[in-house]
Amino acid sequence: MNAVPRKLSLTDWDERYVQLRHTGLREPPYGGPLRRHVAQERDYRLEKLRFDNSPAALRLWNFLLTENERLHQARARGEKIVGSMKDLGTVPVMAYALPGLRAFYPDGAWWTPCLMECSDRLLQQAEGLGIDASFCPVRAMLPAFLNGEHFPRPDLLICSTGAVCDDFSAIAQRLERMGFPVEWWEMPRRRRPDPGEASCALPGNLNAPQLQVDCVREELRRVGQSLSSLAGRPLEEAMLADGIRRANEVRRRLQALRTVAYSAPGAPLPALEMLVAEMLAIHFCSDREETIAVLGELLAVAQARVRQSQFVIGGDAVRIFWVNPVADLRAMNLLEDWGGRVCGSDYMFAHALDLIPEDLPPLEALARTALADPMVGSTADRAARIVADCREFGAEAVAVSRIPGASHCAREGEIIREIVQKALGLPTIELEIPPICDAMLPTLGSRLQALMETARARRKK
Amino acid sequence: MNVYYSSPWIPAEWIQAHGFEPRGAWAAEDFGRGALPLAAGVCAFSEAVLRFAETHSEAAMIFTTTCDQLRRSFDVFAATPGRRAFLFNIPATWQSTAADRMFQSELERLGRFLEELGGHSPSTTDLANIIEHRGRVRQDLLELAPRCSARQFAEAIARFHENGSCAAPDPVLPPAAGAIPLALVGGPLTVAQGDVLDLIEAAGARVVLNATETGERSLLPVLAPGDFRDHPFAALARHCFENIADVFQRPNTRLYSWLKDRLAARRARGIVLWVHTGCDLWRAEAQSLRETFQLPVLVLEADEMSGGSRREADRIQAFVETRR
Repeated sequence: MNAVPRKLSLTDWDERYVQLRHTGLREPPYGGPLRRHVAQERDYRLEKLRFDNSPAALRLWNFLLTENERLHQARARGEKIVGSMKDLGTVPVMAYALPGLRAFYPDGAWWTPCLMECSDRLLQQAEGLGIDASFCPVRAMLPAFLNGEHFPRPDLLICSTGAVCDDFSAIAQRLERMGFPVEWWEMPRRRRPDPGEASCALPGNLNAPQLQVDCVREELRRVGQSLSSLAGRPLEEAMLADGIRRANEVRRRLQALRTVAYSAPGAPLPALEMLVAEMLAIHFCSDREETIAVLGELLAVAQARVRQSQFVIGGDAVRIFWVNPVADLRAMNLLEDWGGRVCGSDYMFAHALDLIPEDLPPLEALARTALADPMVGSTADRAARIVADCREFGAEAVAVSRIPGASHCAREGEIIREIVQKALGLPTIELEIPPICDAMLPTLGSRLQALMETARARRKK
Repeated sequence: MNVYYSSPWIPAEWIQAHGFEPRGAWAAEDFGRGALPLAAGVCAFSEAVLRFAETHSEAAMIFTTTCDQLRRSFDVFAATPGRRAFLFNIPATWQSTAADRMFQSELERLGRFLEELGGHSPSTTDLANIIEHRGRVRQDLLELAPRCSARQFAEAIARFHENGSCAAPDPVLPPAAGAIPLALVGGPLTVAQGDVLDLIEAAGARVVLNATETGERSLLPVLAPGDFRDHPFAALARHCFENIADVFQRPNTRLYSWLKDRLAARRARGIVLWVHTGCDLWRAEAQSLRETFQLPVLVLEADEMSGGSRREADRIQAFVETRR
């Protein structure tokens, strides 16, 4: 049943779901009304969110919110569970290339306090484990490992280290000391090649010394051996090449979705659903093939809406480029309520959206892609991509969202804003979004509205 | 030309062999003096490194990749064209040949940087002699430790990192009888922060182990001449990389092994954890230190590089009292 695009509350979705079922909605096995996640998983935040009204969005949310269930089912079938940490998009490509392995990011637990409106008390429990509020909300991962309620205990834990966030590195080290062995692999801080130094191109219009690529490739080879041992069969080159092709299918769909959604005169899909869709790229929400299907359906909806000039957010909204993921998902709704729309994003994993080269030996291709991670290079490199994307999607303003306690946020926002202002003259703002931002609504609202007003004023000139 | 570096894990021998004066930035008298304008979440030490580099534009500055904040301080510093800055990538892992190779190649790259600054390519003999000399000085320093106060020892180490020398403090102070043996563990302790050592000892304790990044932990073991005379560069690279014992390493078991031996040998009865504001890496270790060594841990904030606040003094005193 087609309907005019709009955002619905959870209560509105109850009714909409019944209507859709009456008119023959067909759902995957994980389908069902969104409301059940509140009752069964205590995802209370859903009651404060507003969702796109398409069946594709329903499928997206149900897919996202059933991941724990999916992982447990996989284990029950005898599959092995890999906890990949920090690299955001590389190790899962390798893991899914091997039959019988499922990879996920325990890092994802950083959204659990938001979804459960802190009723899980994970953040307080993390404090009891020595990781207090001076750390980023990813600290929720620690007690989640202990209580086993949010994801099954992985059979293998792999974590990238080196040029990564200190918070995460420190928390992962604490995890290891708590009795969860971690296999660490080195991610050097990406630098520009020196004059005359052998170098190679990376995805994202970057380049790096061949020496650094070699280092990452060797480290990934080591990771591959561990994955092979777990799977009980070698990770052959052909298998990895096939895994890369399937990962690229996910990335192609996402690229198409981003292009449609961010370049349209209005927003065919809300910012929140776009954020969730982008998140699927990093580990396919524990089911690669289903991710391809979910994104395909979303893309079809976005394309149809653009064709019909039907938008969730109208063309007058201020086009905002958003930097960093938000600890509270509600912030994405609020941005739209206050007159903005997202027209571009850097949620810290731009490298997971770029196509992995298919004309190179697979490990070399993966190494190059991993090294293109915006968080392992200079902030200036990251800002350069943001500037290019702002140009491509016609951004009118840039919002840099700070993650409370995150070590990289202390300086990067200022650097990014300075570069963006210098290159484009756009108004920019930095906002800190805690896991539950309700208490900060007046401040957040006034700051975002000031940004919108400044951007609108520039239109008149 | 002075070449300053932000971490003791940069082999000063290599800088010296290129004809420069290697100087640990934290050991400079003017490092971290005065109030620093700190934005929320910014590590006070990384800010001090940045400010120091900005005020010593005539010198070259070597940053390291050992933490997020130092990496981004480098980003800020290097954004201004023409600055003589180098970011040394010290691998966090140490158990693979890839990491080993990375460290060595970074050292080679540093050599090229130094030559671009006007330094000369070191001869095998020169480098070997420098390795030998600095090793001897480190050994002298270690022998000095039992005969001086914690502050005197820290200042002697700082002097070594500042100008490569070792001078016995005058007069040499005997250890206080009956003092509670404590270890000071943590991030860099700068010259400007030396008061904290006096505070601890004035409270009735004795710092039997200064395991801050710039303390005894920064004094690498001495290489035997037979190990480096023929191939000093390779030996230096391997030796430095193998002997880093720090919190940023993954896993950081080398740090814990280093501490384990010394805490036991010196009968430390408590740990004062020295944490710079905004340093996640050290702050996260408090609980692990307690659990691993079964010792009480007092977390001491470096408080914007000032080591002598009343509140800190009270906390130290209370901690020492609990250990009597």
